[in-house]
Amino acid sequence: MKKKGSRPYLYLTPSLVVIGLIVIFPILYTGYISLTNMNIYHWFHPEFVGLQNYAKAIFVFDSGFISALLRTVLWTVINMVLQMVIAYIIAVLLNTEGLRAHKLYKTILMFPWAMPGYVSILLWKMGMFNNEYGLLNQWLGKLGLNGVRWLDGNVSAFLSCTLVNLWLALPFMIMIIDGALQSVDKSYYESATLEGAGFFTKLRKITIPLVRPVIAPAVVITIFTTFKQFDIIYLLTQQQGSKTGADIHTVITYTYEKAFVTNNYGYSAAVSVIIFLLLILFSVFTNKELKEGYR
Amino acid sequence: MKCRKRIGLFFLNIFFILICLICLVPVLYALGISLNSHNDLLSSNFSLIPKDLTLENYRCVLFEKPFFLWLKNSLILSVFTVLISILVAVPGAYALSRKRFHGRKTILNLLVLLNAFPAILSMFAVYRILKPLGLVNSFTGLILIYIGTMAIFGLWNMKGYFDTIPEEIEEAGEMDGAGDFQLIWKIILPLARPSIIVTAVMILIYVWNEYIFAVTFITSSSKYTLAAGLYALQATDYTRNWPVFSAASLLVSIPVLIIFFCIQRYMTSGLTAGGVKE
Repeated sequence: MKKKGSRPYLYLTPSLVVIGLIVIFPILYTGYISLTNMNIYHWFHPEFVGLQNYAKAIFVFDSGFISALLRTVLWTVINMVLQMVIAYIIAVLLNTEGLRAHKLYKTILMFPWAMPGYVSILLWKMGMFNNEYGLLNQWLGKLGLNGVRWLDGNVSAFLSCTLVNLWLALPFMIMIIDGALQSVDKSYYESATLEGAGFFTKLRKITIPLVRPVIAPAVVITIFTTFKQFDIIYLLTQQQGSKTGADIHTVITYTYEKAFVTNNYGYSAAVSVIIFLLLILFSVFTNKELKEGYR
Repeated sequence: MKCRKRIGLFFLNIFFILICLICLVPVLYALGISLNSHNDLLSSNFSLIPKDLTLENYRCVLFEKPFFLWLKNSLILSVFTVLISILVAVPGAYALSRKRFHGRKTILNLLVLLNAFPAILSMFAVYRILKPLGLVNSFTGLILIYIGTMAIFGLWNMKGYFDTIPEEIEEAGEMDGAGDFQLIWKIILPLARPSIIVTAVMILIYVWNEYIFAVTFITSSSKYTLAAGLYALQATDYTRNWPVFSAASLLVSIPVLIIFFCIQRYMTSGLTAGGVKE
């Protein structure tokens, strides 16, 4: 079975060639661009400027990178906490004994996951949040309240994006936690109940230790996708031609804007490299954690 | 006691019905608007259920916009991307799962790190690379990008599932003199069906829904995919076209919805076995 030879390399070659061309080479090239002043005026013959772009991103507070980074961390933490708590509650309730329609509910709850993401986001933007004919403001109007300009202010736009992200991401989390809960042996709970354990004792002593290793990979993946979330913030607030005025850039939309809107390629590349390094740091850290979880 | 339980279940059902409604409301609203004969959008007495049923908006999408052209482009792109991705990733994942060779650990760790890099951040670099090769505004270039972006996911996801298949089954096959190709074809593929189906569908859905690479790398609207076309449709004059846009977005979503719910039973096993574990 475990013969040595060149065959494994042969099998891997096609994958590695594509990854090399579309992933690795562009990353290295981004690293090179980050050391130059490449922009619209220096498209063909960019000059080498050393670490100037990096210095600007990290030390010039006005550049907006540090605040975007802090905002992204806040965004990730808030979303992950809400997602885990709400998904856990819904998954537990779905597993209530005697709930006959739970299959039907589960199918409907998967719906936002099945919809194309950008379609849902645009439907939220135009159908729900729109100032004049959005459903939310129509409902407020029916209650005799003034409409809210959901996507214009920083705070309300941030909360609106969080709401949409929850709507989009909860189905996956519910499915994962639901699957994990079903893998827990029911007899643990029965004997715990006999011994007089309360709800929180059972949660802490049985559910969390048993569910944790099962959901850990999915949670880590979700942390990454939340951190890297582009579509929601971009489509709701930053889309070219229909910017709402809210400045809630996360690092990804920030970098995108620097490259494709203000055409500051060198600077944008430097920011990309910084983000990449942060993500590597984080994945090394979580990888260790995950492996321990499996022991 | 029994009575209390009934009341509890009653409220639980109400709770879930409410949650399900929240889940569906943006889509139901779009459905209502798309079926409504237009212009009472701005009036205050608009309701979710249309008063004047019309298919006019759907007709407009299907016949006044290049819908079928975009559909054809989407189909071409997704079919080629999925086929090539699976062809490329299955042997690779098999090697990573079953063979022990020099550099295996390094490759696995490198893949995890590379996966951390958001594809969108290297978009500009990819553009500078593909432009001189003449691959901008071409399907080949876009397919290449999609395959490369999804390759790591494919490798990891299938490798993780292959790991769960006991090796003894193959050893028996190997005794009978079967080569790697036969082992993959006759033993691994049938056993790994859930993971291959889920991987293929995930890639398909990714291509179907991807708009930002599509609008950046494709410059002529006759080569747009459905996602790119829809994006362009709303980016230009969406206020006026909101009912049309709703109709279009629902039409675009239907194939994905059907595929998704068809493979839902494979989802948990096909997606979580891969994970990031080793």
